[in-house]
Amino acid sequence: MHSIWAVARNTLAQTLRMKIAAVVVLLLLILLPLMSMVMGGDDTLLGKLQTFTSYGLGLISFLLCILTIAISTFTLSNDIKRKHIFLVITKPIRHWQLILGKLVAIVLLNVILLGIFSGILYAFVLLIPRMVDATEGEKLRAKAEFFTSRVGIKPSFDTELLSKRAKSHYDELEKAGQIPEQMSYARIIGELFGQEMLKAKKVDPGEVKQWEFENVRVKDPGDPNALLFVRYQYKVTVTPPDEKIYGMWKVGDLRQLKGGVKVKTPIYDVDRAEAIRVTREFAIPVAAIADDGTLGIAFYNNPALNRTTIIPEEFEVLYQTGGFTENFVRAVLMILVRLIFLSVLGISLTTWLSFPVAILVCVSVFFVGLTNGFILDAIDSLGATAGIIYSLTVKPLLWLLPQFDGDYNPNGYIVDGRTIRWTFLATTAIVTLFVKGLLMLFAGMLIFSRREVAKTVS
Amino acid sequence: MAATHYAIETVSLTKIFPDWWGRAKVVAVENLNLNIRYNEIYGFLGPNGSGKTTTIKMLLNLLHPTKGAGFVLGGTVGDPKVSARVGYLPEESYLYRYLTARETLDFYGRIFGLSSGVRKARIETLLEMVGLSGMRNRQIGTFSKGMARRIGLAQALINDPDLLILDEPTSGMDPMGTRQMKDLFVELVRRGKTILLCSHLLADVEDVCDRIGILYGGRMQLEGTVCELLQHKDEMQMRTGKLSDKALEQIEQIVSKEGGQLSVENPMEKLESFFIKIVAKARQEKQQTSGAEAGTGISGFLAEKAVVRPENILDDLVSVKMQEAVVPAQTVATETTESVAVSEVKSKEADHNLLDQLTRQESDRSITPSETEKITTQPSESKKPVVKKDILEDLLGDKRQTGSTEITRPDQTEDPSNA
Repeated sequence: MHSIWAVARNTLAQTLRMKIAAVVVLLLLILLPLMSMVMGGDDTLLGKLQTFTSYGLGLISFLLCILTIAISTFTLSNDIKRKHIFLVITKPIRHWQLILGKLVAIVLLNVILLGIFSGILYAFVLLIPRMVDATEGEKLRAKAEFFTSRVGIKPSFDTELLSKRAKSHYDELEKAGQIPEQMSYARIIGELFGQEMLKAKKVDPGEVKQWEFENVRVKDPGDPNALLFVRYQYKVTVTPPDEKIYGMWKVGDLRQLKGGVKVKTPIYDVDRAEAIRVTREFAIPVAAIADDGTLGIAFYNNPALNRTTIIPEEFEVLYQTGGFTENFVRAVLMILVRLIFLSVLGISLTTWLSFPVAILVCVSVFFVGLTNGFILDAIDSLGATAGIIYSLTVKPLLWLLPQFDGDYNPNGYIVDGRTIRWTFLATTAIVTLFVKGLLMLFAGMLIFSRREVAKTVS
Repeated sequence: MAATHYAIETVSLTKIFPDWWGRAKVVAVENLNLNIRYNEIYGFLGPNGSGKTTTIKMLLNLLHPTKGAGFVLGGTVGDPKVSARVGYLPEESYLYRYLTARETLDFYGRIFGLSSGVRKARIETLLEMVGLSGMRNRQIGTFSKGMARRIGLAQALINDPDLLILDEPTSGMDPMGTRQMKDLFVELVRRGKTILLCSHLLADVEDVCDRIGILYGGRMQLEGTVCELLQHKDEMQMRTGKLSDKALEQIEQIVSKEGGQLSVENPMEKLESFFIKIVAKARQEKQQTSGAEAGTGISGFLAEKAVVRPENILDDLVSVKMQEAVVPAQTVATETTESVAVSEVKSKEADHNLLDQLTRQESDRSITPSETEKITTQPSESKKPVVKKDILEDLLGDKRQTGSTEITRPDQTEDPSNA
């Protein structure tokens, strides 16, 4: 243990003397306050907070990732190149202890820097509402939609039933001899499934669509100011002349509308005209939720006001489950998971690669991680034709790649005030660090323990 | 652990560097069977590319042997338990340039798992010993080559090793430093350590080594004690004070009668000795310097385990104090050139006086004809005292002026001007 700590201390001293560390620290010290002043978003308080937090958190994450890549690929490779390692590895220290010592130092540096700069960001986020001349309404909106931690629930569909319908539709088409020859079976089934899904979502003029959610548990159900949010986006089969939809919503325990049931909880009506293809949101007091956690939402496509079939897409109900601070901490921890993974990657690579090659690989992996969904989909679609060879070779390697985008990007959560669940964070950490990271670390240690340190530099 | 009677033992040690295709390209070391005994200084010689450094790297697990095996201190190469007892000084300074001298020693001390107190004490005494105490907070990157060698040696000694592997330890050092370092090696071995010394400076090797091995083309060409290899058994050399022409004629007649040839020259002082005398004088006058200072005697903690020659009172004195591991270097300074010279002038302390007396007695003994004769007949036993005697002669004055006579056998490499 003492030797690991000795190496860690020395590596920390080494990294603190690196110019890139100074540049990153200086950039963040200058840019974060500057961004808090100049970033306005849509000129509302919420917009300013969302823009600043999104860019601030993104900047901290990006710069620390770059710093981590630079340090982790430099420290061991430089020791080998300059032969410092001759005087270390000949002492009573195992090869794996040297690697672990270096890793501890980089992780420690990341914890310190991330702690400092996310702390600065957090302080500015709390200060912005006081510094900005915002209306009371804007402040309430910021509180409800940003300084919160909300969970989103979406309606579920019986995909099995939809698949069955798609299959029977296909059989009908086949019997009628209407199957296009140039299209594959999978593609036709895919399209038919999409059509069935559309049918399940659509609301024709004069029709009412109702959704029921169970087990909706808000943070403070007795709070009269606590709100829940209904989020959606109107899509239409025929675009209206004014490009607007007149929506009529009912939110509450809709079971009470049936005869003979005593009304216990309020049911709220929301009637509003809104532009199509734009995500919208309205708030309802949490009192709408029944005691047993049931929440009903109904949408009526009034034929007197709309002449088109409406498809409410991205439909989601959001409700508060926690505070902003704890959610922000989880977002920072997600960034830390990313940084630790890159540290492991960088050090593991330099156990057998030189600095220039290792940093190139590391940067590539980082950018693949940032666009993982897109790249994986592209490679997957190409590789699907290769069959079993692809499944046994490329696919496991692709699985090793990290995921930093989509659900794994903490910015989206913080900007929308969405909860990063502890379970999700823990799963991400376990998969990224304890499975992928440890695999790489063990591989690196194994290679390094068998490496002739003096030979490679001669 | 393999049982062995040697501090270093190699069995058919071979290293072949392959090319990119895995074909044998360079045979760096071939079937090397090295047996270095405990408590000796072994000089490992050979021209560039002869395989010396490759052998050392294999002994330190920096390279893996292609064939054969190496055993160090009775254990396998690379075993941390073995590494904990080894000190290594590479041919160049591979220290972290951004660390200061003190931080450097602290770093390596931590790797060895030394406690804070022991580390601090050793750092201070080692810095004193190598003459860098004034530069403890200076970064290694700003050090001259000689100073880097000094701090390199200090890091090799931080763990009080049983075995020291030294690759070109005196390269880049000034004559004073070289002399101090050589004295230190002798002292370390006297206190129970074993040293593998790899050097191109043959005079250094000749001065301090018990045995030498000459490597060429990765193979051991010759091995033996320095005297065995260098002594001219069929020649003799005489040294006297000034003699009259008549006396010379008589001697020449005697030599002719014996069938020999006499050559008579006035001996010259070695430049090394002359240089050391001048610098020692300047230091006595406390002249300013930005370079390394004179080192003190051997750091006390290095004697902790060594009781090789119990008859030596000095060792007993030092080892008692060293159990505390915080003894200042000056109090244990014994036989190095500088400590003797300076202590005669400055120190009035009882410890120093005692040490001076002990040292002087020893040096006086070493220049009596009977003792000298013993040196020539038992070379491996008496090699180290000869070096100490030289230092004292150089610093305390030329004993030849007293008219004493000594007879030694000339070595092959000796400067003709001294004959």
